[in-house]
Amino acid sequence: MKVYVIDNGGQWTHREWRVLRYLQVDTKIVPNTTPFEDLQDLDGLVLSGGSPNVASDVDAMGNNGEYLDKAEYPILGICAGMQFLSEHFGGRLGPAEIPEFGAVDLSIEDHKGIFRNVPDKITVWASHNDEVKVVPKGFIITAQSPSCPVEAVRSLTKPIFGVQFHPEVEHTQFGEQMFQNFLDIISEQKR
Amino acid sequence: MFDVKRFIEEQLAAITAKIDGKAIIACSGGVDSMVAATLASRAIGDKLLAIYVDTGLMRKGETDEVREMLQETGINFKIVDAGDEFFSALKEVTDPEQKRKIIGEKFIRVFEREAKGFGAKYLVQGTIAPDWIESGNGVRDTIKSHHNVGGLPKDMGMILCEPLYDLYKDEVRQVARFLGVKASERQPFPGPALAVRCLGEVTPENIVIVREACHIVEDEIQKAVANKKMEMPWQYFAVLLPTKSVGVQGDRRAYGRTVVIRAVASIDAMTATYSKIPLDVLDAISTRITNTMKAQVNRVVYDITNKPPATIEWE
Repeated sequence: MKVYVIDNGGQWTHREWRVLRYLQVDTKIVPNTTPFEDLQDLDGLVLSGGSPNVASDVDAMGNNGEYLDKAEYPILGICAGMQFLSEHFGGRLGPAEIPEFGAVDLSIEDHKGIFRNVPDKITVWASHNDEVKVVPKGFIITAQSPSCPVEAVRSLTKPIFGVQFHPEVEHTQFGEQMFQNFLDIISEQKR
Repeated sequence: MFDVKRFIEEQLAAITAKIDGKAIIACSGGVDSMVAATLASRAIGDKLLAIYVDTGLMRKGETDEVREMLQETGINFKIVDAGDEFFSALKEVTDPEQKRKIIGEKFIRVFEREAKGFGAKYLVQGTIAPDWIESGNGVRDTIKSHHNVGGLPKDMGMILCEPLYDLYKDEVRQVARFLGVKASERQPFPGPALAVRCLGEVTPENIVIVREACHIVEDEIQKAVANKKMEMPWQYFAVLLPTKSVGVQGDRRAYGRTVVIRAVASIDAMTATYSKIPLDVLDAISTRITNTMKAQVNRVVYDITNKPPATIEWE
């Protein structure tokens, strides 16, 4: 299975690559300026976190929009990746009312996507200055925290998932499980 | 999972293929550079010379400890005494990024000299993933310039070989244990050494204070761990602040510096939580520091910040 990581300049982009490698996936970190045609024959894509203020720094997000429009395979957006996809599909971003750095109490509402077999309440780690204010049409909120109402989303029509927090860091509970769930979704789609 | 055997095989082959001629390796005695040195030594034998630079900024007894460790390994090594050079380059410098860049540059100049002397065209370093990730580049923000990445001048006259580039510390430790490297459990120590534990100007006097404070923190925490009072932290040390505050010592007014105790738990250093040190251990550290160094330090605080939003070190 081939799942690449789009590098949006995050501190934990390489860690996302590491988790995928540990899960025996054929993976590579590629710049977000990579043309979609180079990524056509993948099985899935992870849009990494990054430091850009996604709403105002659209240039820093390269071809993320193209990937979201053209890919038929599952895509997981993390942090800035999730913010970008939310805005791309018609949602709205803004500065986080309560920024989150470190441990966050997550309440999961929907267990259909990457939260399969994950308990309702877990601790995850986040590091974000902005957040999704308006969820795009066709997406639902799948998790929230006391300080952030949109911690995770998924599309009801395409295999697109987003998390505001970082499943790839050691301190996030069930992080590896979430990645495995994403890979399972990819396998199911391939069949 | 991380396949240690396969990694070692791949790197030995890669080093052998890359290095044609002689190489020097920057060796601080830390687990990263010791693993890189062990791998390089296995690949090219006596075409390798390990260089340990005594910057004058190392911990108490560190140079002697590393000398003994290198002697045991049988790897060719040389200890370079460069304390004066480093202190003079850091005179009046207070900006943390500037300190890191100056130190990185000084290291390179020392290595260039030693490489010339040895006839080496290659520089091996134990650079690991967090080093280059946090140093940033076009696409990534610079969180802090690591001495072995951000400080490398553009006119460097050597070819770099970094076998541990994609690894995190926990993976390096697995390799270290497999290879029987003695430094495998050593706590991480920054390349810029005590210079980044001394906020403000790095003077010999300040380094003496923070060196002693680090020694006290290490000693007391190791004792506490041995007595099963707490878990061994990932990293634990002292930081000297320029902040002065009022105190009272022996019925006299004191106006002295502040020392921070810093200890964290982590697995890969990319996220960390502050260690839950029992109060009586903090007590012991605090009292020992202010008794031992009463003329310079009269206040001790404990850092209760996770990473993020802080980093493990203060600079």
